[in-house]
Amino acid sequence: MSAAAGTPDERPGLYVHVPFCSAICPYCDFAVRVGGEPARRRYAEALRLEIDRLIGTSSPAADEALDNLRTEIRAPLRRLIAPRTRGPETAAARSSTPDDARFSTLYLGGGTPSILDVDTLAGLVEHLRIRLPLADDLEIFLEANPEDLAGADGARRLDAWRALGVGFLSLGVQSLDDDELRFLGRRHTGAEARAAVERALEADFATVSVDLIYGLPDQPATETDWSRRLDDALALGSHHLSLYELEIHERTVFGKLARRGELIPAPEPRRAALFRHTHRRLLDAGWDVYEVSNFARTPAHRSRHNQKYWRHIPYLGLGPSAHSYAATDGVAVRWWNERSTPRWQRLLESDASPIQDAEVLTPADLVLETLMLGLRTPAGVDLSRLRVRTGVDLLRVAAPALEQATSDGLARLDGDHLLPTLDGMAVADALAAELTEAEGI
Amino acid sequence: MTHRHKTRNFCIIAHIDHGKSTLADRLIQTCGGIDEREFRDQLLDSMDIERERGITIKSNTFTLPYTASDGEEYTLNLIDTPGHVDFSHEVRRSLMSCEGALLLVDASQGVEAQTVANLYLALEYDLEMIPVINKIDLPSADVERAREEIDDDLGLDPFGAVLCSAKTGEGVQDVLEAIVERLPAPTGDSEAPLQALIFDAQYDAYRGVVMLCRVKDGTLRKGQEILLMHTQKTYEVEEVGLLKLEREEQDELAAGDVGYVIAGVKSVRDITIGDTITGKKRPAPDPLPGYRPAKPVVFSSVYPMGTDEYEDLTKALEKLALNDAALTYEKDSSAALGFGFRCGFLGLLHLEVVQERLEREYDLSLLLSAPTVSYRVQLKDGEEMHVENPALYPDPSEIETTFEPFISAAIWMPERYIGPVMELVRERRGVDTNLRYLTQSRVELTSKMPLAEVIFDFYDRLKSVTQGYGSFDYELLDERETHIVKVDILVNGEPVDALSQLCHDSVARPRAMRYCEKLAETIPRQQFKIAIQGAIGGKIIARTTINAFRKDVTAKCYGGDITRKRKLLEKQREGKRRMKVVGAVEIPQSAFVAVLKSDVGNK
Repeated sequence: MSAAAGTPDERPGLYVHVPFCSAICPYCDFAVRVGGEPARRRYAEALRLEIDRLIGTSSPAADEALDNLRTEIRAPLRRLIAPRTRGPETAAARSSTPDDARFSTLYLGGGTPSILDVDTLAGLVEHLRIRLPLADDLEIFLEANPEDLAGADGARRLDAWRALGVGFLSLGVQSLDDDELRFLGRRHTGAEARAAVERALEADFATVSVDLIYGLPDQPATETDWSRRLDDALALGSHHLSLYELEIHERTVFGKLARRGELIPAPEPRRAALFRHTHRRLLDAGWDVYEVSNFARTPAHRSRHNQKYWRHIPYLGLGPSAHSYAATDGVAVRWWNERSTPRWQRLLESDASPIQDAEVLTPADLVLETLMLGLRTPAGVDLSRLRVRTGVDLLRVAAPALEQATSDGLARLDGDHLLPTLDGMAVADALAAELTEAEGI
Repeated sequence: MTHRHKTRNFCIIAHIDHGKSTLADRLIQTCGGIDEREFRDQLLDSMDIERERGITIKSNTFTLPYTASDGEEYTLNLIDTPGHVDFSHEVRRSLMSCEGALLLVDASQGVEAQTVANLYLALEYDLEMIPVINKIDLPSADVERAREEIDDDLGLDPFGAVLCSAKTGEGVQDVLEAIVERLPAPTGDSEAPLQALIFDAQYDAYRGVVMLCRVKDGTLRKGQEILLMHTQKTYEVEEVGLLKLEREEQDELAAGDVGYVIAGVKSVRDITIGDTITGKKRPAPDPLPGYRPAKPVVFSSVYPMGTDEYEDLTKALEKLALNDAALTYEKDSSAALGFGFRCGFLGLLHLEVVQERLEREYDLSLLLSAPTVSYRVQLKDGEEMHVENPALYPDPSEIETTFEPFISAAIWMPERYIGPVMELVRERRGVDTNLRYLTQSRVELTSKMPLAEVIFDFYDRLKSVTQGYGSFDYELLDERETHIVKVDILVNGEPVDALSQLCHDSVARPRAMRYCEKLAETIPRQQFKIAIQGAIGGKIIARTTINAFRKDVTAKCYGGDITRKRKLLEKQREGKRRMKVVGAVEIPQSAFVAVLKSDVGNK
């Protein structure tokens, strides 16, 4: 990692969605599916097509494909994939891309990218390297399930990932308690999870991260219980923790159970208490609390890639359901691929665009998003940057709401920076909505 | 028509679902009154609401030609009766137009509460009763038990009961024969001065008001000048005739006949149901008994959910009132809910029927304020006023005396429910309560009660404490002195005008508590604590609080979540714009609905 912590990475990010899992977890709301080796190979083939199609080789057909895209996407996409110049030789274009415009992060998420055969994965990354302007100091993020790190296969995978340049390994541990793991439909035990973390740490990735879920319906309510679990998590020795409150989504198994009254979500006051306790505990332990659910042992271990989402840094998403965001000449656009893997595949295989839809973000959209995302982070919102990007001077148009928020102890103003307090972060969504209610936004 | 002795006027009395409409349809079909093609199932209950709820609200009448086994042709007038207490006036008027009634009993369910209640009404008018045991085709039919109940519970001759299945048609012929044989022909003198009872009216867009009437004495003819005895208005008869599937014009309607009169009446508001038609030249000395003006006794403010629906609501009410003389309305407005109408109804069911028709036929979504009665208030300065709107209730310091309407209530029930029903009546401030045994196991309880206590979820409670066996009827009695208070509901110290209500001081506290709790359940948590209070004047009588929410941020927000999340927040913000802000608290419309529905949703 060459980007020093503290100097925000403004370079674009690249995301690849790998939809496959060995089984579908009952809480999961992502575009996921269970598929064997043939399905995975077909997916990898389609992904290559997508890269070739969108990114374009020098072929006129690819150029035409790009021109057939929705007009609002064309310019920002071109800017992303071959900034400044775009000659017939993409290799030339790539080499002519200045460092500060190349993709500096590649996030392999899912789904479970660790399920992919290492050669398939390596082939994909290689393809991306050939086709896209990737930075020399590219950091690769990989999501992995603990069971994929076990045994001889696991050891081989870890070696391969290291060789591939994976620097940030994110482990879907979710819990260290066997009962909870069963409830969450996970396929590993607490002991296996610990072993996986240990192996990952030994493999010497720059950052090993552990995902945990809290606020389960019948998880012990008392803070001391959760405290003990947090201690266990901290004792794992990972460099990074993602601590997520369990959310019940409609389209999931848990959603169905909740609708039938067979699963009762933890009540809001308890979830609020657990949230606060989590943050305080991590702060006490000297960790860098940098987002609602994300904690790093030191700022250097933060997820450089995820921070881009919260700061409106451009990103290109590939694979089913992947979202992209880019801005050119003051026009900000977000677009996203078909959510269904088979449909996404079929579109690509039939020379069609896998993009499902796009939206041009109005200044008002950007203001709301900036607040909604910025208030999730202690770094808050840079109001002068917001003013430059959107022309909206929040200090002027939302003065009463800002004053209310500060007097309620939800945020404070430090010059041009709006910084949420812990209480403010906990209600970031409502706060963002309130601060953008004013006329003139 | 001269064959008065070959006319039979009858109605069908039944509990909901015991097959009244099916039997009516079958009678109509059997008599060939209606072409098969035109035949609609359940023809009599033509309104959607009636069909869905299995009740009849508007009465309809059919004239059926029937050739009996004696070879003679008879004219059978089937007069449909509404089946609910709010419309008991209409039931009475229908009954007054008949000489006899079919009392329908479900062979599998036996005699039920409503059957008994209606039977007593019918006996009051001296009608000849024919018990009919219906649904004998059902596997669960128990004819012997039904006979026993007819004997024990109704005190009617069980062996005179006719067995039939309206569904299969079995026994329908026997029913028709029994009507001819056992019901008396109408009496009356066609040469005497005209006396005809208006028991219903319909509005026809081309012809104006079509009055349905039963001629008691005298004769009605085209061109005749008539006088409506109560309203003292005169009209010239344009057309008379019989009600078949379509109106069938006749030369005249003579004593004993049931038919329609068209006389250039422009609006149902120009006439009153229950009025007596007489001749202008040779008037009868007295009107027929049974007249009571359809006077609204229950009042509620009706607001459209969307402010842009106010115009539509205005038009819909105008149209509805064309056919519903009992409905009154005038403009009203609320700080919380905007413009609406203060409406008057015959009772709670009438209110519900109007509400449902507005929502269904005119596609409006509505909010109704808590129903109230009309209070007569004497002020200290000697002035007197009628108040049926809490917003207009004078300051207590100016009030000398308040009077509230009282009813004479009658409740019929099996003996075993006496205890809980007495308790309910006492709780509802019933006085002069008396019990009378109708049979060994059936009891009639009469009591004088405030009308206000009956419109507030009484029928529901009665049904629940008697497991559905209790039935209830009432008539307005008088006005009595009372202690009424205006209860305000405050949100963070500010009153929500649409939730203010007038009630007796003895029920103010529980009523206020209920409102507070309902609001606390439905107002979403906000970032600050919300106090919800019930108050009389400055005195707080009930309170609840809604604690502030302390966490709403979603756990995950990455590339794929941002657009959806933003749209969700935009939607929430949009929803908030439609909320009414009271005391800095945003109250969603759903909260008003939840609170007010708990009063009105009295099914």
